[in-house]
Amino acid sequence: MDKNELNTFIHLLQKVFTQKQPPFDLGLIVRESKNKIEVKEIFEEIKKFVDIERIVYDEKIFDEDVIDKIVDTFSKNRWVFLEIKKDVGSPLLNQLKHLANYNSFQLIDYQGKDIFEVKMPENSRLIVFAERDFIENKITYPHFYRLFGPTLSLK
Amino acid sequence: MLNPETIRFKSPEELKEEEIERKIKERGPEGEILGGIVFEEEKVIDPETKEEKIKRYIYIGNPYEERPIITKLETDANQEEIEAIKREIIPMKESFEILEAMARTYKHRQPLLIEGPTAIGKTYLAEKFTELRYGKGVKPLDFYCSGQTDVSELMAKWVPKVETEEEKKKWNEFLESVEAKEKISQIAKEVEQEEKLSQEQKLALIHKKLQELAKSAGLSEKTQWRFQYGAVPKAMGLIKNPDGSFSFDEQKGMGFTLHIEEVGLAEPQVIDALLKLRGKRGQLAEEIQLWENGGRKVKAGPKFWVFFSTNPPEEYLARNEVDPALARGVVFKRMGELSEESLRLAADYYFTYKLSEKPKEKPEGCILDIYNHPEIGREISKVVSAFHNDLSKELKKKEKDRTQRIPLTLDDMARVADALIDTQIRNKETGWLDLTETLKKLIRFYYLDRLADEDLKMTMENNLNELLEGDTGKIEFEGKLLTRKEIFDILVERASITEEEKQRREEEKKKAKERELKQAQFNAEDAVNSLLKNPKIPESVKKLLQE
Repeated sequence: MDKNELNTFIHLLQKVFTQKQPPFDLGLIVRESKNKIEVKEIFEEIKKFVDIERIVYDEKIFDEDVIDKIVDTFSKNRWVFLEIKKDVGSPLLNQLKHLANYNSFQLIDYQGKDIFEVKMPENSRLIVFAERDFIENKITYPHFYRLFGPTLSLK
Repeated sequence: MLNPETIRFKSPEELKEEEIERKIKERGPEGEILGGIVFEEEKVIDPETKEEKIKRYIYIGNPYEERPIITKLETDANQEEIEAIKREIIPMKESFEILEAMARTYKHRQPLLIEGPTAIGKTYLAEKFTELRYGKGVKPLDFYCSGQTDVSELMAKWVPKVETEEEKKKWNEFLESVEAKEKISQIAKEVEQEEKLSQEQKLALIHKKLQELAKSAGLSEKTQWRFQYGAVPKAMGLIKNPDGSFSFDEQKGMGFTLHIEEVGLAEPQVIDALLKLRGKRGQLAEEIQLWENGGRKVKAGPKFWVFFSTNPPEEYLARNEVDPALARGVVFKRMGELSEESLRLAADYYFTYKLSEKPKEKPEGCILDIYNHPEIGREISKVVSAFHNDLSKELKKKEKDRTQRIPLTLDDMARVADALIDTQIRNKETGWLDLTETLKKLIRFYYLDRLADEDLKMTMENNLNELLEGDTGKIEFEGKLLTRKEIFDILVERASITEEEKQRREEEKKKAKERELKQAQFNAEDAVNSLLKNPKIPESVKKLLQE
């Protein structure tokens, strides 16, 4: 893994000055088919730059629980490293799109409120990690790449 | 001579209309659009209290039209907020077409559906339109459709109240199963057919059936169930509180804006549910009945409005056309690609940093304060918009059979512009900004690394190199044919040299000019002397030359 590239990727996610709205981007790390680097290794490398928590989205977890975990991580002003291992379900996809469009979650009937808005704190970001083949063949939402700003391709 | 019989005095209303139209069509000294949205305050007498109060209005119209249709809407936003929102909208023709359609349909309580490519900014303008009516920072209620969208998320559902994590897990597993979803929807249908039952009796029947269902699935039949409204009824009955938060009242709520995105991806059962929103004379329904709640009705508040958006079918693999029944029940507006003129305008706005405040101090990582040099920004915008356009065309050809699509958006350009401020590479020889290399790196992060097709990636990298450094990318600059890299280098050099260096260069230039003048003077004197010495020149001419 090119550490300079990773450094630039993190820097681009951190950038403060922005004309784009919403200001902050979600980041995508794509592992290309030939690359054998372990996810853990990538996560540990990012950990050297920022305070980040890893969440695995797979068959064992429900969308609502992932959303709860992200909300909790944001409340601690930490970054989220979301490893996608199954097709993204409608509730999570809705929130990821909202996060990309408005830098916040918009939750209905959440924590006793009719409409609950959870803003992504200025010091938090969300990085999604997925394999190229998985994105291309398993993710059914056709505009998945569009949710993200900078993309780091690990060859 | 004027015929007094044909002189017509304009009414105050007509004069006011003309004034608003003039403001809508207002342009700046360079022809740039300044109008489109106009704020006004009016004094009105409250019919109940008879007190005078100020009401705020916005007028929205398309400034590109010779005779724009102007819509007046009440707003909670103040003038400062409206001006700030206006500054955040790139005044492209397409943006005003969309805003105008939104204002008109909102005023008449008609649902609007816009089908258009990602880049035209449907979501962004839905947000800006909501802000224009409610104030800065207020977002619409968003609902995103996908192939997996469940009708219950849109309309309503019953949720079991559970205490422990283990119970929650069991219930979630059960509720996510296809069998449970089918059975729950069956319960609603069965209750719907029980026409003779009162609402209370229907609710009791629902509870009984839900408990039976839980028992059959091996779960506790004593579980309590909670009714939860989905996005549609919520938007119908929302109330915006003075503190900016929202609360819900199914009978007295004022209603709010609901943006249903990517409706082209919705499954037939979701479309069926959305058809409930059709009301009389092309307007939105005034109420909807939810069988999930025993047939109880939810009223639509006066400010309830629905905006549907979707991408054109060619942006999806399955070519989902908008359902014909839905298309008939809405004001359906099809938009094409952004024009090249709009794309260039957007690029110019981003790279000359017109959309936000410029940094007060040079940020870390910034070698050249590019945001203070619009002459450089204008050249960059030409390169990036050309690259954006090329890639967009290539993507349309190459992605034909893939599930994943990468429609480019204006955000891609904005990201490059933003990052260019503090992610800069230094030229090791000059010590100044290496603009060509910096652009290449940022374009790779924002445009190219997303591409799965390695061949396309390589082709586009080569195209970018050619555009920046090759002969085909050459353009005329200050009378010379130069590559973009050469132009960037000249502009960066001019912007990078210090005041002292600038002065030294000016002095040198001045001295060189003086030397040239002196030389010209000597040359002239030599020429005159040689003429004076020439015996063939008549004395009368020599005399004139001496004078």
